[in-house]
Amino acid sequence: MRAAATLIVCAVAAILAEGSPGAEAPGLHRDGVAAQAPQERRAPVDEPAWVTPPRGSPPRADASAVVASVASSTVGRSGGRTRAGETTPQEPRPPSAAPPRFRFVNVAPEAGLTRPLLAGRPGKDHLLDSAGSGAAWLDYDRDGRLDLYLVNGWRLDGSAIAEKGRYTLYRGLPDGTFRDVTDETGVGGAGHWASGGFVADYDGDGWQDILVTTFGPVLLYRNLGNGRFEDVSERSGIGAPGWNTGAAFFDADRDGDLDLYIAAYIDTTMKEVLEARPTLSWRGLEQVAFGPFGMKGAPDRFYRNDGKGRFVDATTEAGMQDQALGFGFAVRAFDYDDDGDLDVYVANDSDPNYLYRNDGTGRFKEVGTWSGCALDGNGAAQAGMGVTVGDATGDGLTDIVVTNFSQDFSTLYRALDGGAFEDASAETGVGPTTFTPLSWGTALADLDNDGDLDLVVANGHIYPQINKHPQVIGTYEQRNLLLENAGPGAKTLFRDATAAAGPGFEEVKSSRGVAVGDYDNDGDLDLLVTHTDEPPSLLRNDSAGGAWLTLVLEGRHGLHPIGASVTVRAGGRTQRRDVAAGDSYMSTHDPRPHFGIGDANVVDEVNVRWPDGTHTVLKNVPSRQFLRVKQGP
Amino acid sequence: MRIVRHASALALGALALTLLLTPAPAAAQGAIGTPREMVAAYNALADAILATKRTEADLVRSILAATYAHGQVQLTRAQRAITAGDAAAATAATEALAADVAQLATEGDNNVAVVRKRLIEGGHHHNSAGEAQGVYDEGFVVVTKAAKAKLLDASRAIGQMGRAPKADALAAQWAIVEGVYKDLMKPAK
Repeated sequence: MRAAATLIVCAVAAILAEGSPGAEAPGLHRDGVAAQAPQERRAPVDEPAWVTPPRGSPPRADASAVVASVASSTVGRSGGRTRAGETTPQEPRPPSAAPPRFRFVNVAPEAGLTRPLLAGRPGKDHLLDSAGSGAAWLDYDRDGRLDLYLVNGWRLDGSAIAEKGRYTLYRGLPDGTFRDVTDETGVGGAGHWASGGFVADYDGDGWQDILVTTFGPVLLYRNLGNGRFEDVSERSGIGAPGWNTGAAFFDADRDGDLDLYIAAYIDTTMKEVLEARPTLSWRGLEQVAFGPFGMKGAPDRFYRNDGKGRFVDATTEAGMQDQALGFGFAVRAFDYDDDGDLDVYVANDSDPNYLYRNDGTGRFKEVGTWSGCALDGNGAAQAGMGVTVGDATGDGLTDIVVTNFSQDFSTLYRALDGGAFEDASAETGVGPTTFTPLSWGTALADLDNDGDLDLVVANGHIYPQINKHPQVIGTYEQRNLLLENAGPGAKTLFRDATAAAGPGFEEVKSSRGVAVGDYDNDGDLDLLVTHTDEPPSLLRNDSAGGAWLTLVLEGRHGLHPIGASVTVRAGGRTQRRDVAAGDSYMSTHDPRPHFGIGDANVVDEVNVRWPDGTHTVLKNVPSRQFLRVKQGP
Repeated sequence: MRIVRHASALALGALALTLLLTPAPAAAQGAIGTPREMVAAYNALADAILATKRTEADLVRSILAATYAHGQVQLTRAQRAITAGDAAAATAATEALAADVAQLATEGDNNVAVVRKRLIEGGHHHNSAGEAQGVYDEGFVVVTKAAKAKLLDASRAIGQMGRAPKADALAAQWAIVEGVYKDLMKPAK
């Protein structure tokens, strides 16, 4: 059904400034080096960060509001002007002739992201010690700048609890730095060892709320819209005790509110965690943490939103019983069969992955095995850690990438017609490049704005003991990977671009989560990467990229409607993105759909499919702008 | 912990049995062999262990047979629906057939996978030698890796036809499944 509604399409300066409180400015597994990069400083930005054009880019859309009211929903025309004569701040470039295609710089320390992320004992005696944690981008105060939420674990000293890590909400500031607003917002947690952070407006009040999975209760923080959050965990009805990991908010039954899937890993107790000692022989060389083989999986759960702020366990009724008790880590809700409802993919460690197909009413059937995305091409279950989806191959279908253990490849499940997938890891180059490291967080994102999806993979082993034998499979600390998409028609779709991706990709840490977001609103996508036992890295994207378009969607129930998807046609290519809450490894990306469009100055068509199935279509949209699209009444 | 407790109980039992069966010192005649009663008991236990293993194989074959039979029914339903022009029924039956073939590949559904996981957790590998040689996946009893790969390919191909199944294409895929299945179900030598 297509909406015939009045649209308001805004290319605005203070994109999301309304209601901004205290705004400072508008705006058991199979097995499978480098020095700290020098930090660089970017010139301070005086105006709202997103108004500053990317270095070396042509003029972008006007920062002053241009509002176009369009009467037709099917053929709209967006407004937008370029700012004539706007100067572009230039950062000194190295004297070399051509700049590298990618350049990422870790700016976390100067940006103020300094709180370490705790991860158990140095020896990682239990799998919980080595699981690490995720991260979430959000805009909790609706000031148009991304804020960052980082959950935290514990530091253990033998069997003793040395420190319970505090979760941190960092507010994005106009100068590209962040301020710790945890205390004033009330989201520091209650001392639970946390896994992941997930953001969605679950109550439809227009403000983004936060869900935290932990080893213990699931926490739900309701955004009150006044700069504070209320802990509504108990009355939310989300029990789910145990070791919860990945999660995804999505509207399963298309009733207009967000339901929730929560994955769980192993069935264990904190007593067992604290008493754990390395008992598993690793290649006869070292004793390392035991599991997950030999441990019992914990059941995933599905909760239906009753529309009144409560979640009801509907796992069985929805057909989502975790019958195999898979060791669940990552969850992604997306419409894999393009039938208008959201399906759920779960990456399981050492077990077949799940694909729950939605029948359109919020009832599911697990179809992973016969759809071809539960096992690898050899029919073997892999050790799924993270997941990301997107049209990697450029054929219009949504592919799946799952990261796996070391000495096993990350898997690209290429989508085929008819809702099937095939393991295309080897031929696309994903497999060979990712074989050695142990991989976790991942994202398909257009990092050079050339119109195709590149692949980021965060790496780090779980056994620190392997550092005594680096010749075997490397070290606990590993380099993250950037795979550049060479575009359709290339002999090998992905090539390893890590070595030329700047100092940010020279870091060697034990990384876990990846959350993608344009934190400085300059039109390219930056990367937040979490590590074990140290602060995260914020990899600012300084790549010499192409043109871009980022959408800020405002649905009937508020900003960033989960389940909306956007298709754009530009430069002869068609691309699609969706809005999701829950991705990568226990993380949440920037909810604003971002498109790189290469040399195109104009996007031929933008087609927004709202969660209720209605569409908004815009024609001839200028590039290099944050385009706000509001759903009609 | 459970394993340790079981081991302790077994050790105590063995000790008690040994004491009962040990001849009196007066009858000592130098080194003695293992008491016949113990050997007999062990033989009986071995019979039970081997019988259990055979039973496990028979049970898994039964699971496969039931799944195969269900698949045949779904194939027939799909073909009838195609002939009758009932697209919805044809799709449903085709997808059910794909699921059956996937379950043949994985020696049962996710509920069986949990049982398999329990057995592995307890250290039981039905085909430990075959696993070491790369013939079987861990814990698998009947379905070899090679057979699994063929069945998975067939299940995906059948599933892919779900939206617009064709009788001859389904029959062709089922012929592949049938061939693999019959090979797997040949009596063990």
